[in-house]
Amino acid sequence: MNNFLQVLVVGIGDGAVYAMLGLGLVVIYRSTGLLNFAQGELAMFSTFITWTIWEVGVPLPLAVLGGMVGGFLVGALLHQVAVRPLGDPHLRPLATVIVTIGLFLAVNGAAQLIWGTLDKDFPKLFGEGQITLGGVAIAWQKIGAVLVLALMVLGFWFLFQRTKIGLAMRAVASNSESSALVGVPVPRLLMLGWGLAAAVGTVAGVFTAPGLGLGSNLMQLTLIFGFAAITLGGFDSPLGAVVGGMVVGIMTSVLPQYLPIFSKMRLAPAFLLILLVLLFRPQGLFGRKQVERV
Amino acid sequence: MSTSAHDRTARERWVRGGIWLAVAVVLLVLPTQFPEFRVEQFCSWMALAVAACGLNVLTGYNGQISVGHGALYGVGAYTTAILITKAGWPMLAAAVAAAVVCFVVGVVIGLPALRIKGLYLALVTLAVATLFPLVIEQFPGLTGGSNGLAITSPRLYRGVVRDKPIVFEPAFGLAGDQWKYYLFLAATVVCFLLARNLVHSRMGRSLVAIRDNETAAEVSGVPVATVKILTFGISSALAGVGGAIFALNNARVNPSSFTIVVSIYLLVAVVTGGAASIVGPAIGAVLFGVFTDVVSPSLPARYQPATPVILGVLLIVLMLTAPGGIVGIAQSLRTRATARRLRSSSEGTTGPATAA
Repeated sequence: MNNFLQVLVVGIGDGAVYAMLGLGLVVIYRSTGLLNFAQGELAMFSTFITWTIWEVGVPLPLAVLGGMVGGFLVGALLHQVAVRPLGDPHLRPLATVIVTIGLFLAVNGAAQLIWGTLDKDFPKLFGEGQITLGGVAIAWQKIGAVLVLALMVLGFWFLFQRTKIGLAMRAVASNSESSALVGVPVPRLLMLGWGLAAAVGTVAGVFTAPGLGLGSNLMQLTLIFGFAAITLGGFDSPLGAVVGGMVVGIMTSVLPQYLPIFSKMRLAPAFLLILLVLLFRPQGLFGRKQVERV
Repeated sequence: MSTSAHDRTARERWVRGGIWLAVAVVLLVLPTQFPEFRVEQFCSWMALAVAACGLNVLTGYNGQISVGHGALYGVGAYTTAILITKAGWPMLAAAVAAAVVCFVVGVVIGLPALRIKGLYLALVTLAVATLFPLVIEQFPGLTGGSNGLAITSPRLYRGVVRDKPIVFEPAFGLAGDQWKYYLFLAATVVCFLLARNLVHSRMGRSLVAIRDNETAAEVSGVPVATVKILTFGISSALAGVGGAIFALNNARVNPSSFTIVVSIYLLVAVVTGGAASIVGPAIGAVLFGVFTDVVSPSLPARYQPATPVILGVLLIVLMLTAPGGIVGIAQSLRTRATARRLRSSSEGTTGPATAA
């Protein structure tokens, strides 16, 4: 039982990180209807920015804020130069996939050009310590991840429900043409969405880097877990991203305990989840059902 | 006027024939002009070109987006390697078996792809591509695990039969690498001709009809499900042949050769060359090969990651400005030249009737 609780705790901590990346993916999907395959690479890039700021002697929490600002700017810039000229992603799915794949390659290569190809050690935001509750060790880093995720969800809720910008972003997500007609600056809000998604991704990167080492391939597995999270939760549902992230985190942590085949293939259950959900319930748990008109 | 129009098409036919002849001569002469390591690189470009040709049938012509063809390329390579090394099959039989195995795998992937479309199919195939090397590492007994598998066959060596890495023996007065090159070239040409005939056939027109409007195709009597599944199978079989060429060329397979990056590079080859054109993927594969094998190694090690940056930017710029790739650019240049010629000839005579 203790063993189960232990892997459960680890799973919840991992799940919080997947949920963070998933939140970024959802923000972009809601506003532009696009699955951003470059999201993980953007997160990796801004984690490197964080590392650079930290290395010159800035305390880590401040460096993370700096990295988020950096990520925001990079995300917004890439949207303006590469994504915005594309138009509606569902009308040109191939072009959209190709452009995000192009961003994937370019951002990955750029990180290697700037920071080299050797992995960097990355410190834990909440230190190495842990507490023991009833025989189960819980690392502060895991508790921190859940707290940060909760803060993020609160922040998103406040932004979307309580501010004018958030209202406009929701309007764009629900019908961008009508919003443009009533004077909502649609392109600027889409840019804001990309910036926000990249900023949120930074935090996911900061939590992933200490375990794996910070290199240009940092987020490639996490990205699939993030996609699994939002597939399960529903591509357009922030709540779904959080619930989905937790389910995926717990599943990939608990399953290998009972089915050893998955111990080195933690990705396999996530893949099966993506496949099955898309086949049998494409809108996920909390997503809006898409109606196809002919 | 009809005679001059006829002359023009005749001239165009001559130009086309000339270009193809020149390409054929270059392809045939190439291995005699370069050292062995270059010839082997040319062989690996052919492997990529064949796989890209397969991806193009699926993505360019049929509109089903796969970001996972690197995995099918890998299945082809590993099938070849395992059949030769563990089961003692001859190379050609192993390569054919790779195509068959990949066809079956493709059909199996094609079934869920009937329901999962567009961006979501891209997501699933991306996950397949990421998962593939991990699965390979799970079965070290068969695949050699993360160390990879040297492709060996039992041969008489100093009076004893031993497992030695496969080599292409010199034949017909050609060095081993040249013989290998011509064999692969023949296989590549056959694959491209097959793809060309396929897209010009009744089934090929069905492919395009489904891509452009699935509902309209269905209503017009195209068996949409069958055609889509078959396309996935054929596309995968071509990717498998590409993988077989890759495996035979290197005499070794590694899980690290079939990461998500390979799937991306296949898309790069298709898109830069020109999706939905037969020669496009070949041009794209050569361009990609020149980049990675000639340009990139000439850069100082520090700046070698510039290659993916350039390729990524190139992809985005092409998509935004010329979605038809290099072939598309060439076609639009030719159209413009023809229009100019028509205009200048019509100025000399009277009225617009000459435009015909």
